[in-house]
Amino acid sequence: MRLRLTALAWLAILVPTLALGQGASQADEALALQQRAEEETVLTEGEGRSEVFGYCTACHNTALIRRSRFTRPQWDGLMDWMTERHGMNPLEGEFRDTIVDYLARHYGPAQAPARGRNPFLN
Amino acid sequence: MTRKIERSVQELYRDDPERADALAFGRRGALKGAALAAMGGAVGAAIPFAGTMPGGTLPALFSRPAAAQGTGPEILRMEGKGPLILQGERPLNAETPETLLDEPVTSARNMFIRNNGGLPDVPADPRGWKLTVDGEVNTKLELTVAELESRFPVITRQLQLECGGNGRSFYAPQTRGNQWGNGAISNGEWTGVRLRDVLQAAGLKPSAVATGHYGADPHLSGEPGRPAIARGMRIAKAMEEDTLLAFRLNGEAIPHLHGAPLRLVTPGWPGSLSQKWLNRIWVRDKPHDGPGMGGTSYRVPVRPIVPGSSNNGADFADLESMPVRSILSSHAHGSRLAAGTRALDLRGAAWAGDLTVQAVHASVDFGATWTEMQVAAPANAHAWQRWTGRVSLPADGYYEVWYRATDSQGRMQPHLPANWNPQGYGGNAISRAAILVG
Repeated sequence: MRLRLTALAWLAILVPTLALGQGASQADEALALQQRAEEETVLTEGEGRSEVFGYCTACHNTALIRRSRFTRPQWDGLMDWMTERHGMNPLEGEFRDTIVDYLARHYGPAQAPARGRNPFLN
Repeated sequence: MTRKIERSVQELYRDDPERADALAFGRRGALKGAALAAMGGAVGAAIPFAGTMPGGTLPALFSRPAAAQGTGPEILRMEGKGPLILQGERPLNAETPETLLDEPVTSARNMFIRNNGGLPDVPADPRGWKLTVDGEVNTKLELTVAELESRFPVITRQLQLECGGNGRSFYAPQTRGNQWGNGAISNGEWTGVRLRDVLQAAGLKPSAVATGHYGADPHLSGEPGRPAIARGMRIAKAMEEDTLLAFRLNGEAIPHLHGAPLRLVTPGWPGSLSQKWLNRIWVRDKPHDGPGMGGTSYRVPVRPIVPGSSNNGADFADLESMPVRSILSSHAHGSRLAAGTRALDLRGAAWAGDLTVQAVHASVDFGATWTEMQVAAPANAHAWQRWTGRVSLPADGYYEVWYRATDSQGRMQPHLPANWNPQGYGGNAISRAAILVG
């Protein structure tokens, strides 16, 4: 998809856009949002962050990681699930450990679940 | 001093909810004395109904997921779309805050966005978009959108479209997927032709038992030819009169984001059965087995499993008709009202998959007493139902509006999401909105 949505795809999208008006401009914005660049630093600092950022954002952005709070076995199982269900290249050996360790350490259930700020304080 | 107590109550609940409850409520289960003062301090007001506040129910504002609160989460800013809660950019997903669902018919602007893959390119000729119907049929069909509209009766219906994972964020432990509050629901007015009429034109063979749906959206990996998702349903649902091949929403062309020029609308069942950018219906001689079928995907345990345990879903059953649920559209969670306010006029919507809603109740005393709301009839089968009603408040202070729907078979929304499963489907717990008066 990264290839599809580069210059050629933009041409393919922009041409009908001109004819379709507002609806297509919304589609442009949506496509641009999908492609919005992220910085590695959006993830918590730690050993393995570069590997996680590089490997995972090939398919999806970091929102999926940042919203998640899973145990190590759950993260580990997710790696197999993504391979079986979504065609991810299998992760093995030390590289797999690096990625799963990072995720379990920084996005594990030991952290409090996302809770909102009290809207009535301050 | 007060600051210290506020922090400690919140920290206690965060670190050890059971101990926090024991400390705050004591052995007799009543919130009183210093604990009541601490809890009141933490929510920033007196709690008039503290006496009936059961142990284990920390105030809504601490227990609501951040994404459902309107503070914290990133807000979508996009041409033609309202300020939805951005769940993620790739894939692009956004939830509608309940207060934007105050329209009886959901506008395209306020319709939640759900994608499994990337967006396909905008077609140059939408009317020439082709749908193939093949598999267990006597005659394979290839029909353009224009042909669908001219050959078959065109009908218009208000139809619920709800993500199968709506309410997922209320599960504990956390489950996989978008952390939806209750806002992955819409009730648009869809125009199209019945899938049934098209299947009958193709002629179903006796072996036809299920459908499989394919769309043009690319898989996130970019792998050519790999469907982002391809789910299917029992033939009985495909033959229902409200299951549509839709080409207009609210009288206008469907926005590209929402599946133009052709999508399925399979109301009352998980939204993933309402395939966007639809280009093929494969009629099957067995349950469909495309991506998004089987395992734990859109499936729920038949026998309850231990929350947080791993399970391959082999014994699960497909989630079909969605469970009863309600939203409150008149008051946002976190609303502050003028001192002296002694009544709230509440409004919202409720729905129950293939069923209807027979009652909606609201409580402002943590569920000790419930007030029956007035529930309107649906515009048609599979449309949501609007509800209104008034609740009284005895004094200024902190309240939670709890709202609960009951379906036509007598099933109510439970207090907590039941039947935990790894991907968090079917959670329809009672929702709570925190309101401060004064």
